[in-house]
Amino acid sequence: MKIEVKNLKKKFSEEFVLKDISLTIEKNKSTIILGQSGCGKSVLIKTIYKLFNFDSGSILYDGKSEVDIDKFSMLFQYGALFDSLKISENIAFTDFINNKTNFEKKVISLMNDVGLDKSIFNKFPSEISGGMKKRVALARALYKNPKVIFLDEPTTGLDPINSDKINELILKVITNRKITAVTITHDIKSAIKTGDHYYFIYKGIIQDMGDCKKILKTKNKVFKSFIKGADIKQ
Amino acid sequence: MKFIENIGLVFITSFSNLGKFILFIIFFFKYLFNPKFYFKNNILYFINILISSIPIIALTGIFSGMVLALQSYTGFSRFSAESAIPNIVVLTLTRELGPVLTGLMISARVGSSIAAEIATMRVTEQIDALKTLNANYYNYLVTPRVLSLTLALPIFVTLVDFIGVMGGYIVSVHRLGFNDNSYLLNTIDFLSLSDYLSGVFKAFVFGFIISIVSCYCGLFSEKGAFGVGSATTNAVVISSILILSSNYFLTELFF
Repeated sequence: MKIEVKNLKKKFSEEFVLKDISLTIEKNKSTIILGQSGCGKSVLIKTIYKLFNFDSGSILYDGKSEVDIDKFSMLFQYGALFDSLKISENIAFTDFINNKTNFEKKVISLMNDVGLDKSIFNKFPSEISGGMKKRVALARALYKNPKVIFLDEPTTGLDPINSDKINELILKVITNRKITAVTITHDIKSAIKTGDHYYFIYKGIIQDMGDCKKILKTKNKVFKSFIKGADIKQ
Repeated sequence: MKFIENIGLVFITSFSNLGKFILFIIFFFKYLFNPKFYFKNNILYFINILISSIPIIALTGIFSGMVLALQSYTGFSRFSAESAIPNIVVLTLTRELGPVLTGLMISARVGSSIAAEIATMRVTEQIDALKTLNANYYNYLVTPRVLSLTLALPIFVTLVDFIGVMGGYIVSVHRLGFNDNSYLLNTIDFLSLSDYLSGVFKAFVFGFIISIVSCYCGLFSEKGAFGVGSATTNAVVISSILILSSNYFLTELFF
């Protein structure tokens, strides 16, 4: 699915979080949204997902303003797993709440795809590690066979080794399944590794965009400062 | 000028919150009568509330009945009306103390836990996750809690009434020297069905108040640990105030 965002504005109370965002998410490509914490990245993807309304602008999904959000899936920053449910019930949540019980085979297959051992099938989220939680959340996001997957800082809170493993896993999953991916991150290494195209947001405005493989050659001063990890000054 | 602005802001915020709360109740009923009913979820939640609250309810009932018998004796013995103690204990418990004390205890025990649980779900993006997984949070979170608590509170009140009367009986017979048979006969003879039903009706109303307020406070909490704390405190404080104030109007209704 191709998603086109044009002149999007979104405010909370009286403050604009997204000031004038225009971007294109290409079908079956991996788009990376980069930016500092609090710059509006999460608000942007939740607005595209239709979890938030917007104040002005437009979002077109394959050229239409309406979309069935069942085609979307999201991996939340900290997994957002349901604490009171078992891992298997979390992954197959959409079936579980509708009292369908024959999801075991599909769950085990997905757990295998994301590198989870089936011994955690009946465990609760509090009994597994942070890296495992991300994998469970990814399996849950893939359970409904989405056309577009939104990944909100998928490597946050993970050590470098686990971050690499999650990046490789995401790359494998979106390539094999031919899914359009939109990833939020402030990790340049992850962006280069998993992305095709990037957008850099600063103070609610897109400051820079381009090919992920050429991120380090950017001419944009603000983005260069961001890459260097220095304070951003305009 | 700033002072007037602040007063205006307080009024606008209060009315805005009241409007949001009324809309929340309207949406609850909309989804209740147009339901995607998660039957298993509702039953499990109901059983969980029942089992987890019975000890605290039993303690509330027995001590209330015991204290009520002792205090009634202190007053009534001054004008030789000790024989009215069984009547006063059963009447006060069924019409007043049973529903109000149960409501306040359940607000602290269950209401706070509902608010904290839902607020934590909000902070950890589980509410957003529900939306992305096509689960309506009114159906999945609000309906089971409101239905369970509204139906459970009358059961709790019946228990408190019974255990409270037994508490009064124990103190009256073993501490104050009442005849056990005549105490029980007096209690049963004096109690009318309308006394009991007025308490049960109050319990329905209090159960609804506690659950709907707690769900609202949790769902619209601010972010972070502070938000969870505030949601919990607000749920208990608002529920308790609403229980005490609505109790007057309900009492007028059955007067």
